[in-house]
Amino acid sequence: MSPTFALRLAARDGRSGELRLLLASIVVAVASVTAVALFADRLQQALLAESTTFLGADRIIGSSRPVPDAFRDAATARGLTQTDTVAFPSMLFTSDAADARNQLVSVKAVGEGYPLRGVVRVAEEPFALGRVVDTVPEQGEAWLDSRLFPALGLSLGDTVAIGRLQLRISAVLVSEPDRGGSVFDLGPRVLMRVEDVPASGIVQPGSRVSYRLLLAGDTAALDGLHAELEPALAPSYRWRGVKDSNRSIGDALERAESFLLLGGLLAVLLAGVAIALSAHRYARRHYDHVGVLKTLGATPADVFWGFLGALGAVGAVGVAAGLALGAIVHFGIVAILGAYLPVALPAPGWRPLALGTSTGFICLLAFALPPLAALRNISPMRVLRRDFQASAASQAATYGSAAAGALGLLFWYSDGIWLTLWALVGSLGVSAAFAIMGLGLLRGGRVAGMQAGSAWRLALSALQRRHRESVAQITIFGLAIMLLLVLLLVRTALLDEWRAQLPADAPNHFVMNVAEDEVAAVQALLAEHTNYNGRLFPMIRGRVTAVNDIAADEWERQHAVPSMDGGHLRSERNLTWSDALPPNNTLTAGDWWPVDTQEALISLEDEYALEHGLDVGDELSFDIGGLAVQARVANLREVEWDSLQPNFFIIFSAAALPDFGATHMTSFHLEPGAKRFLNQLLSEHPTITVIEIDAIVRQVRSIVERVTQAIELVLALVLGAGALVLIASIQASHEARMREHALVRTLGGTMRLIAGALTSEFAALGAFAGVVAAVGAEVTTYILQTQVFRLGYAPQPWLWLVGPAVGAALITLVGGIGARRLVRSPPALVLRELR
Amino acid sequence: MAARQDAGDAATAGRRNGNLTRFAPPLGAAAPDVKDVSTNSCILQAQRLRKSVPTAEGELVILDGVDFDAAAGESVAVMGASGSGKTTLLGILAGLDLPTDGSVWLDGDEISALSEEARARVRGRCVGFVFQTFQLIESLSALENVMLPSELRGDRGAKEDARAFLERVGLGQRLTHYPRQLSGGEQQRVAIARAFASRPKVLFADEPTGNLDTGTGKRVVELLFDLNRDSNATLVLVTHDATLAERCDRTIALDGGRRVA
Repeated sequence: MSPTFALRLAARDGRSGELRLLLASIVVAVASVTAVALFADRLQQALLAESTTFLGADRIIGSSRPVPDAFRDAATARGLTQTDTVAFPSMLFTSDAADARNQLVSVKAVGEGYPLRGVVRVAEEPFALGRVVDTVPEQGEAWLDSRLFPALGLSLGDTVAIGRLQLRISAVLVSEPDRGGSVFDLGPRVLMRVEDVPASGIVQPGSRVSYRLLLAGDTAALDGLHAELEPALAPSYRWRGVKDSNRSIGDALERAESFLLLGGLLAVLLAGVAIALSAHRYARRHYDHVGVLKTLGATPADVFWGFLGALGAVGAVGVAAGLALGAIVHFGIVAILGAYLPVALPAPGWRPLALGTSTGFICLLAFALPPLAALRNISPMRVLRRDFQASAASQAATYGSAAAGALGLLFWYSDGIWLTLWALVGSLGVSAAFAIMGLGLLRGGRVAGMQAGSAWRLALSALQRRHRESVAQITIFGLAIMLLLVLLLVRTALLDEWRAQLPADAPNHFVMNVAEDEVAAVQALLAEHTNYNGRLFPMIRGRVTAVNDIAADEWERQHAVPSMDGGHLRSERNLTWSDALPPNNTLTAGDWWPVDTQEALISLEDEYALEHGLDVGDELSFDIGGLAVQARVANLREVEWDSLQPNFFIIFSAAALPDFGATHMTSFHLEPGAKRFLNQLLSEHPTITVIEIDAIVRQVRSIVERVTQAIELVLALVLGAGALVLIASIQASHEARMREHALVRTLGGTMRLIAGALTSEFAALGAFAGVVAAVGAEVTTYILQTQVFRLGYAPQPWLWLVGPAVGAALITLVGGIGARRLVRSPPALVLRELR
Repeated sequence: MAARQDAGDAATAGRRNGNLTRFAPPLGAAAPDVKDVSTNSCILQAQRLRKSVPTAEGELVILDGVDFDAAAGESVAVMGASGSGKTTLLGILAGLDLPTDGSVWLDGDEISALSEEARARVRGRCVGFVFQTFQLIESLSALENVMLPSELRGDRGAKEDARAFLERVGLGQRLTHYPRQLSGGEQQRVAIARAFASRPKVLFADEPTGNLDTGTGKRVVELLFDLNRDSNATLVLVTHDATLAERCDRTIALDGGRRVA
């Protein structure tokens, strides 16, 4: 068979609609993958770019030593943009001789071009929202944190001193991008020029100084520089990227990546199933065609190459159309979401297009080639006797090839052997379990159907009669519905988790250093001006010296879990005492102490206890301000660290620390417009410290919002692919169903009976599939949420209602639309068309 | 009997020599049940054909020691009740299926010893078919259906040939119609046009009027015999219809897989 004849064959099949479903499946497969990949690729680039604002750069080289010029030269050679920052704690003095005040501040001296990523905001008055500037302070000038103004009685234009250096205050610093890190170690910020640092005389050998070289530019150049400098970095210099800079952002990005990947995978697998189904249908409808071709002299090789050529032609058209459609869909999405995406999306790379193209052809080869290749084995005797069909061996090859293709794609997309193995074991297990459940449901349905009306009886006996096809369909529908439910559940869980972490009224300010006699006044002020209704926690510093009379170092050597990284047992910690278990804390072992206990008891955060090998009943010795205190571990607590509430590793009973003077702290939520309240708070209580983390909270929230949009988008695309599978699957059994019903009509069945029977059949099929999908979704979601996304899991009782209902509704709708014309057509026509 | 054994030995010898294609069968007038045609003009010959299939109840014998031959240009009717093995015989004679035992020679090739690939080439070269169920390809128009044999051979001028044949069967105005837009009689005429478009040396027809009413059937039969006469093809016609069988030069009858006449 000549190649041109093969192409003509494909063109004629295409014209008569024979290839429409196969073509549509390929187009949708390629389009969904391309659109998801294009958007995910650009969004990921954008998210990464925005996340780099937490660093103020793409990468950072940090150290307590000055950054060598060799590093700068290497960066310059690779065409990277760079600037320096030097941060150190220092005392800030006012220059008003009459009312000299001072305050410990955190100085950041920056070079020209700072920041390389993100923006600096300044204002003309304290606690204003401010405006973005693209400059840094001039030499001899400084920008000061809002809270320094009321605390030190300063205003713009005043002069302050850092070491020997006099600096004029030229702006109020509202935020700078790389403020992150532990907020509690941070004094109020002073931003100045790095060129002024030597004049201050502050930075001496042994000073606590943090040097940073900020780098920005092409990822390849950055990675190249990293590789080049790697040997010179350790042990004094640390290379940091965005994922190292902020754990919660890193986690959010990782989860988003996992989810986008999972969504893309599902779209591909669903489309693969649609391709396999439509290719099978196409092949089945060509048994006679091939029989005739063979009687006319076509050899098996002719048939093989002819259909391979036709498939190649369809694939080429499908992939091209899919890429175009994918690009259009993706541009549409960008246009719709553009207004909500404050970051400009970078241009897409070539990878999404290559991914779409390869996916299209791999799907075709794995899912569509086997049934078409098996056509070469069709006996020409089929033209005389219709019971000659494709051999069983070719069906085994079909499933083998489809499984290999699916796994290959999984491996390629996930780039991980574990996810692939999980998917393999999962899909085999789920398919087998679904098939068994499907068979059981069909049997049960048949028994129930005997009692039912004639339409239901007809429907259920038809399903039972074609039980092999019905079980296969229940399995396929079940898998599709299950995947959609899983996606929906995981999405909901992810979003709920993120939103719960950062509710709209999450605390965004900490107040610390509140003296004992100020507690009531500060609490009253907070209650009056904010929606604060918590309490202030006393806070003292102290460290563990011994456990059960074994020195802390020795205990740690014997008991600490080496793989965990939670600091040393002997490190100084913030301690508090309390009568009641704080909110956001849950007991995991032991009991909370009675309010009036006279015992010296402590409560430990459970992971802290695990890391240091501590448990309920252990006796801990502390050194608090030079005094020795002993207490017994009464219980362990789980703490929500993301709640932005004051949280402590160690809480004492009040009786354990009777005479220790402590300062107090708490956190509260302040609306952006109400920040002037801080002026009043700091004027009335000048010695307290207020730490603003609202900028950080805002940034985290904006990333979460964007990730949410991406997830919803991926969900919509996967839903589209799922719908296609449903259509392809119903089409696949269309002829057999129609032939039966046409026969029933010739025997006197009314149109109403047929319509009722068809509706009942689709509804039963969908409901059965929904039941198995609900089982599968519960199990899969449990595994995904606990193993992959590391989230909690709660059973979803509504699945058991929604699964079958959605299954029945979807399949009745899709099947009903397909069958409508044939129900209305005269049975003779139906039989003739289906001959 | 001796001649039969000679023939069998010769065929075996041919197989041993590996010279299977174009090996002329050394059979002829000596075969006792063969009509008086010359050795050279015998285009289709089968010996001791046996076809059995395994079933749950044991081996089912469909054909049992059937001999057959047809000379070039001859028309032979195969008659028998349903289940007598007519269609199976037709399939084996045309090279669509293989016998369990026995041999078939078609146009000089021992097709029963050939692979499916090689048999397909023989079919493409010298066989045409007309089926009871027409077997037109639904996705192709009447013209495209008739073009198929020439296209498969890679012939030039497939379209003009096909158009000419369709005009000869009276469907010159229905070239672009699809099978479902044609009546049964029209579909069978397209099938006849397709069969002759392959310029067959042997035309196999399986109950060609089985799906047609009497009047239409008659017209189709006239057409079939006319075209057969004009093309000087050998016609092997499987039918229940005694009247139709009478139009053939010869009739053989099967019963229970055995030749009875």
